[in-house]
Amino acid sequence: MKAEDLEGLLGGLTPLLEPYIGRQRWARHDADGAGPAAPAGRLSIAKAELLEGYEPPTLWLLVRRDGDLYQLLIGLRPEDEPLDLGERDVLGVFTAAGGTAAGGTGAEGKAWFAYDGLADAEIVRHLAAAMGVTGVEDAIVRPVGAEQSNSSVVLGQEVILKLFRRLQPGSNPDVEVSTGLDRVGFNHLASPLGVWTRDGYDLAVAQEFLAGGSEGWALALTSLRDLYASEEEDPAAAGGDFASEARRIGEMTARMHIALGKAFGVHPPALTEWANALVEQVDGLGLGPNVRRRAEELASRLVAVKDVPSIRVHGDLHLGQVMRADAGWFVLDFEGEPARPVAERRLPWPPAKDVAGMVRSFAYAAAAVLHERESSEREALEGRARAWEQRNRQAFLDGYASVEGLEAVLPEADSDTDAYGVLLDFFELDKAMYELGYERAHRPDWEPIPLAAIERLAEG
Amino acid sequence: MFYEVLVRGFYDANDDGTGDLKGLTSKLDYLSWLGVDCLWLLPFYQSPLRDGGYDISDFFTILPEYGDLADAVELVEQAHRRGIRVIADLVMNHTSDQHPWFQESRQDRTNPKADWYVWSDDDQRWPEARIIFVDTEKSNWTFDQTRQQYYWHRFFAHQPDLNFDHPAVADAMIDVVKFWLDVGLDGFRLDAVPYLFERDASNGENLPETHDYLKRLRAEVDASHPNKVLLAEANQWPADVVDYFGDGDECHMCFHFPLMPRMFMAVRREQRYPITEILAQTPDIPDGCQWGIFLRNHDELTLEMVTDEERDYMYAEYAKDPRMRRNIGIGRRLAPLVENDRRVAELLHAMLFSLPGSPILYYGDELLMGDNIYLGDRDGVRTPMQWSPDRNAGFSRADFAQLYLPPLMDPVYGFSGVNVEAQMRNPSSFLQWMRRMLDVRRQHPMFGTGAFEVLPAENPSVLAYVRCHEDDAGHENVVLCVNNLSRFAQPCELALGRWEGRTPVELLGRVPFPRVGALPYFVTLAPYAFYWFDLIEAQEDAP
Repeated sequence: MKAEDLEGLLGGLTPLLEPYIGRQRWARHDADGAGPAAPAGRLSIAKAELLEGYEPPTLWLLVRRDGDLYQLLIGLRPEDEPLDLGERDVLGVFTAAGGTAAGGTGAEGKAWFAYDGLADAEIVRHLAAAMGVTGVEDAIVRPVGAEQSNSSVVLGQEVILKLFRRLQPGSNPDVEVSTGLDRVGFNHLASPLGVWTRDGYDLAVAQEFLAGGSEGWALALTSLRDLYASEEEDPAAAGGDFASEARRIGEMTARMHIALGKAFGVHPPALTEWANALVEQVDGLGLGPNVRRRAEELASRLVAVKDVPSIRVHGDLHLGQVMRADAGWFVLDFEGEPARPVAERRLPWPPAKDVAGMVRSFAYAAAAVLHERESSEREALEGRARAWEQRNRQAFLDGYASVEGLEAVLPEADSDTDAYGVLLDFFELDKAMYELGYERAHRPDWEPIPLAAIERLAEG
Repeated sequence: MFYEVLVRGFYDANDDGTGDLKGLTSKLDYLSWLGVDCLWLLPFYQSPLRDGGYDISDFFTILPEYGDLADAVELVEQAHRRGIRVIADLVMNHTSDQHPWFQESRQDRTNPKADWYVWSDDDQRWPEARIIFVDTEKSNWTFDQTRQQYYWHRFFAHQPDLNFDHPAVADAMIDVVKFWLDVGLDGFRLDAVPYLFERDASNGENLPETHDYLKRLRAEVDASHPNKVLLAEANQWPADVVDYFGDGDECHMCFHFPLMPRMFMAVRREQRYPITEILAQTPDIPDGCQWGIFLRNHDELTLEMVTDEERDYMYAEYAKDPRMRRNIGIGRRLAPLVENDRRVAELLHAMLFSLPGSPILYYGDELLMGDNIYLGDRDGVRTPMQWSPDRNAGFSRADFAQLYLPPLMDPVYGFSGVNVEAQMRNPSSFLQWMRRMLDVRRQHPMFGTGAFEVLPAENPSVLAYVRCHEDDAGHENVVLCVNNLSRFAQPCELALGRWEGRTPVELLGRVPFPRVGALPYFVTLAPYAFYWFDLIEAQEDAP
């Protein structure tokens, strides 16, 4: 097929795009993800190209939709040789519009089966090879979990290829941070193997695949399910104790922060800005005067601290972003909070922001498993949930504090100001209030989880 | 499958209250029925028995309570007739202080055997060497009043270390080995093998001199007695243990010590990482070599090869009563360790029989026998084999008071309920289950020699792996093992794309499961369940 056929192809393909994108997890949906039903004309093709050398023919599209820019990789096979794919991966069959090239090339009038290129092992292998990944010529390709902003496939046992779906100009934060960390020798991450960059966009990244890994979240839930069903009330005595793992996660987080400081520098922060934002949040959520007092106190104490080092942070650290593998713990996905603009995600923050994120995750894990139980059982188990959270939170913080070299990214230890403690309380409160806003909008049942943290932090 | 047997505790043929070689010979039909390939006898040599026979006072004589040389010859012949090989424990590192060699050596500093042991004027040499029996020993040196010198011992003070730097000692031990191979033994378990030599500024373990000596031993054995087996007891990290395989020119087998506590830990934590972590750290071994893997043996469940944190955890979970602790370990049998949960016992054995290595079974564990933690030292796990509900568990017709140890009589593990006779009659017994498993294992040689690969699974409670073996026709035989380490039912998706189109057939019931497709293969597992699947190539449909 020749590039001149592009126009004809697009003519037939375009009507299939919106329904296809609407089915994808990585697309931004109308309120609450209730579904697409997009009006015609809401979508436009910003760029289209038939990728050279690909067989089957592969279309690369940048599509603008509601102000977002999406990347599509679409495989084309003759209508009578379709792939056996799930509904989500299929765009449908279309007929290329009349040929534009004199004499025709055979593309016009021909019916094509269009589908997500990542579902086609041949396309994926070609793409990986084009990115400089070696040894995947015959690799088996399988999809792995869909994320909110990207889709991933695994090649063989060793390589994961991540295609960014919703694009932001400039380098992708995940690529940028993992490359930077890899450079300074931080080895608790999937090493980057290749990047696909065009027109100033990072489009895809290939990384070492952490075979045999499980998310920290899954391991934490395993521990909690064991505890809730155990004869033992005390999580330290229950067989499924998680504290040693929590401690290792803490150690890894500290090493990550030291490495981030080395790779991206240690900066002074803009303290007053976010200090004030916290107080505003309290008002917005209609929380009690005790919370407001505490927020004001934390904000003013924070501003008083002279030297708060800030670094590039993970930005969205929680149990779902760390993975246990045979060689220990690894940290995943440095994209930061996908909902925020990239420029904002690049801003330096005190590392306590990540620490608070993980600490809150322990509370959520304990609560999530509590919610699995019948409501009649929950009250009896609440003590265990609190004890588990407390034990693992402490183990995580102890592990974090135990790592040598951490002083480079923490405020000077001073018992008078306890700057680190203030920072931690501050970001934990900040995170809990963000959670409260989210739960009120989406899961009112879960409000008590952040509320409990807010009340505890308000007590000081 | 290796079956570790305590001669003293197996069967008493002469009614003196102590098991003997004749008794063991008379039970060979049982062992053959069970599916034992090789018997491993705990030490049967002349000994003052201050360390269960590991304190040998004459390498060439059988302990009279066990019988005599003719009994040993008869045992080996009868075993061979049933296709069972026999290996025995051999302690090379040290002897009993009652051994004539030591008695001569200690007389003065000039006698012919003066240098057969390791003597010193002070007790300060080699401070780097750790003390192994921390419960009882304060130092690796003990003062001898007669010779007025200190002698070196890595274990108990009544077990002086032989001086392998002395050529006559090195030769004498090779003579011992050849003597027993002439009798008909098929090999040895070499006890405490890392400690043969001592050197300054070292911890005295795994020294190059020790490896050189073992290579010499192997070469001499291969030359005079081909097809024998040397099994090294080196309680070390896998990276150090592999050195005992040499380049395939040292020991044929080594125990994998760190795996065992981690199998228990994995089940207690309901996650696979304690197991996969240690397997990932286990180097490849030379062709023709094999790991020996086990769940329990005659010693304590040893916790030397775990971290301090893991040891604390194991104590907290498995040895709540301080009496359960022995040295650096836990002195319990398998069944009490898993709180007599049959499902856990089955799961642990299913893993033992399918992980890479030769499984070693400790006598009585096929019945889920219990222990008696109130007996001294390691005797708690060395009570008489429970053959029947008759007097003395059918082990002996001696007076009860004459028995070397009382059989278990408690309501849960006592011989009235837990015994060979009852379990042979009951098709759903643990004994019958184990026999079936061993039978299935034997039909699939890849369990013994096939390649091993852990499969990724997102669910941390699921441990899945394949054993693969390419046959002469170039066809890849694959057995998939899936284990649920959790007490709850678990789902699991496995990436089986490499075997797309094959049909998993469950090995115990030969039930075909849905064919492997392009998508991840979905398996659900009951609590503590396991599956062994043969991945069979698609067959043409019958016409």
